Amino acid sequence: MSKITLQTEGDTHVVVTRRFAAPPEAVYRAHTDPKLVQKWMLGPEGWTMPVCISEAKPGGKIRYEWSNGKGAGFHLTGEYLELEPYSRLVHVERMHLPDTTPDNHVETRFDADGTGTLMTVRMTLPDAQTRAAMLATGMERGMEASYVRLEGMI
Amino acid sequence: MMELAAPFEMTQPAISQHLKVLEDAGLVVRRVDGTKRPRRLAKAGVEAMDQWLAMLRKALEKSYDRLDEVLASMEKQKRGEKR
Repeated sequence: MSKITLQTEGDTHVVVTRRFAAPPEAVYRAHTDPKLVQKWMLGPEGWTMPVCISEAKPGGKIRYEWSNGKGAGFHLTGEYLELEPYSRLVHVERMHLPDTTPDNHVETRFDADGTGTLMTVRMTLPDAQTRAAMLATGMERGMEASYVRLEGMI
Repeated sequence: MMELAAPFEMTQPAISQHLKVLEDAGLVVRRVDGTKRPRRLAKAGVEAMDQWLAMLRKALEKSYDRLDEVLASMEKQKRGEKR
């Protein structure tokens, strides 16, 4: 069962939603506590995050370093802009692939949904060059034919 | 342009505006044919975006499935502390 939704918003943003069984406080903490982030924000099978820095305060630094254990890796740096525990996070991030991608402004909302959480992540749609660089990291390996429609775009 | 505008309840400048956005994004290409300017979907542009969105979905699905497990173990730990 796929609980995730991805929708393009105009030609500038992607909005992702996902439901979790845990309350907003837990989901928020899992996004800001580096010891927790390191356990799950890994993308496809085989990747690890040996370095995870997350200073959860306005202006606080973010640095995630990923490795596939076979010599390939890349990292992300960013800063927290706004923190409203446990309902909303705003941060800016950029990837180093190794060229630095344009800043991605990300807003993450954690709304109570019954006993769980509805999380909504709104991020900037990267330009063609950034998308190509992201695909080239090897994170797409094993990807089947694309099945995501350009909802709302065409 | 007239043909594209016909099925929609939109003015021609509005249609023109939408087409320009799609052209700038590389999703629609325009050809010159006499006085006509036929448009077609730029397959490569659409596929490149599709491919990236599929990659994003796949990476997030995997990560969020792991997050489900992290959240479950946080909950377990919390219950353990209360006892």
